[in-house]
Amino acid sequence: METESRKKALHYFFDKVVGPLGFKFTPDVELMDFLLEQEVVLEGKHGIPFCPCQPLRHDRARDMQIVCPCIPFHREHFDAIKRCWCGLFVHKDVMDPDSLPQLPPKDVGLE
Amino acid sequence: MKEVSMYTLSTCPWCRKAKKFFADRNIPFNYIDYDLADEATQGKIMQELDAAGVTGFPYVKIGDEVISGYQPERYSSALRL
Repeated sequence: METESRKKALHYFFDKVVGPLGFKFTPDVELMDFLLEQEVVLEGKHGIPFCPCQPLRHDRARDMQIVCPCIPFHREHFDAIKRCWCGLFVHKDVMDPDSLPQLPPKDVGLE
Repeated sequence: MKEVSMYTLSTCPWCRKAKKFFADRNIPFNYIDYDLADEATQGKIMQELDAAGVTGFPYVKIGDEVISGYQPERYSSALRL
């Protein structure tokens, strides 16, 4: 499948999933486009659209926790930083995603 | 000047921003793109991340300080810029 059409398909599917979780796509359209493109690349390579900003460990149980959208596996962390790790999704009330730093769990009092 | 090294992913825009942060300031740095590294190197990197309690990239080391994520203010502070 062509990259652009697969990006659109992922966008359509993800939108349905993250909305009920309280998240939406980042308003940063350029970032969204880049991240979706990377996910299409990762899907082409591994068969699954993994998070572009988290490492594959070649351990199925752990790798399944970084399949996009990975919000349910990192809910407490992502709720604390109001975005997912790669920034493809932000809390529904976020209008300025640049204001959200990419903080790891221990920097927000988790772990 | 403290030594700067990074573990990054070629697919991660925040890793690219981290590289750009140091490049724009003419601060020398070393990096390894985890996803492009061989299996042995990946294993070694993952051991280091696990020991530091870090899960996501970019993973930045400035001297002895480990900074997880794209955090330009902390990079500046660690380098006393």
